[in-house]
Amino acid sequence: MAEQSGTAPHDRAAELHRALAEDPRTSELGVTVTMRGEQVHLSGTVVSAERKAEIDMVVHEAEPGLRVTNDVQIVSAAEPTGAEDIR
Amino acid sequence: MTTIAAVGDVHLDEDAAGRLRPALGHIGDKADVLLLAGDLTRHGTVGEARVVAKEFSGLDVPVVAVLGNHDYHCDEVAEVTSVLADAGIHVLEGDGMVLDLGECTLGVAGVKGFGGGFEGKCGTAFGEPEMKSFIGHTVAAADQLKSALAALDCDVRVALTHYAPVPETVAGEPPEIFPFLGAYQLGNAIDCCDTALAVHGHAHFGSERGQTPGGVPVRNVAQPVINGAYARYRLPT
Ligand SMILES: [Fe+2]
Ligand SMILES: [Fe+2]
Repeated sequence: MAEQSGTAPHDRAAELHRALAEDPRTSELGVTVTMRGEQVHLSGTVVSAERKAEIDMVVHEAEPGLRVTNDVQIVSAAEPTGAEDIR
Repeated sequence: MTTIAAVGDVHLDEDAAGRLRPALGHIGDKADVLLLAGDLTRHGTVGEARVVAKEFSGLDVPVVAVLGNHDYHCDEVAEVTSVLADAGIHVLEGDGMVLDLGECTLGVAGVKGFGGGFEGKCGTAFGEPEMKSFIGHTVAAADQLKSALAALDCDVRVALTHYAPVPETVAGEPPEIFPFLGAYQLGNAIDCCDTALAVHGHAHFGSERGQTPGGVPVRNVAQPVINGAYARYRLPT
């Protein structure tokens, strides 16, 4: 978006972070957005590959010109192997 | 010995239905109780609550839950709570319950809690009504937790919240957002009684282990932190 080219990178990152939280398709508060020039890096965890793809979609719609690296991880739903002894 | 299984922030909706089910089938062999530390849904709708109800019903251990901020998003808290309750999930909000586990009685006091921040870097009930109401909600939640813990007549006492009671278990999150992740008043409430363990969620980038100023072990069981279907903690009885 042309009017955003003069916006500081951390403001654009904040806007994307807010979009990911407030867009009902994502509602993800747990994604870290880092901007470098026209590149954006996404990290954090979600519960499925579909949700990771939805994050791409929302970021792309908000800032179509950005190159997106989506390093969001998919959290494990496996049974735990150990147990911790408390005190 | 009592084994607590706990997980928070499963953020289920219709698309994620059944995700945890394979790991929950034999939970009775692994634990005596399952605690759910809030953010069970994505948006707090009745439809999503039905997915949560199905996911955690019919297990061979009792299930005790608090709700999280996501479960409040669509303003359907009463309906969400009753969908879960109808499925046999005990939803706590400022109250507690005692489970007879045979070997011992386990008391769980639960509250969603709220933000506000931790010692020295926290909000105060001063100035605008919005600020007073923010901190007022935090203080009320901590007071409810304290009374609920004190009222438990049991062998082992556990505190269950969504928001963090100490800063150690939110470490890993940006320090600027700590005041939105938890509040020291919850930690003080946990210290008022002889609490064996405090379990919370909410801080997805946080750390698993911490303790209250009074030395009560605190565990952040947000699913991204524990990276599994649930975590297990063995407590002496
Ligand atoms: Fe969460
Ligand atoms: Fe949360």
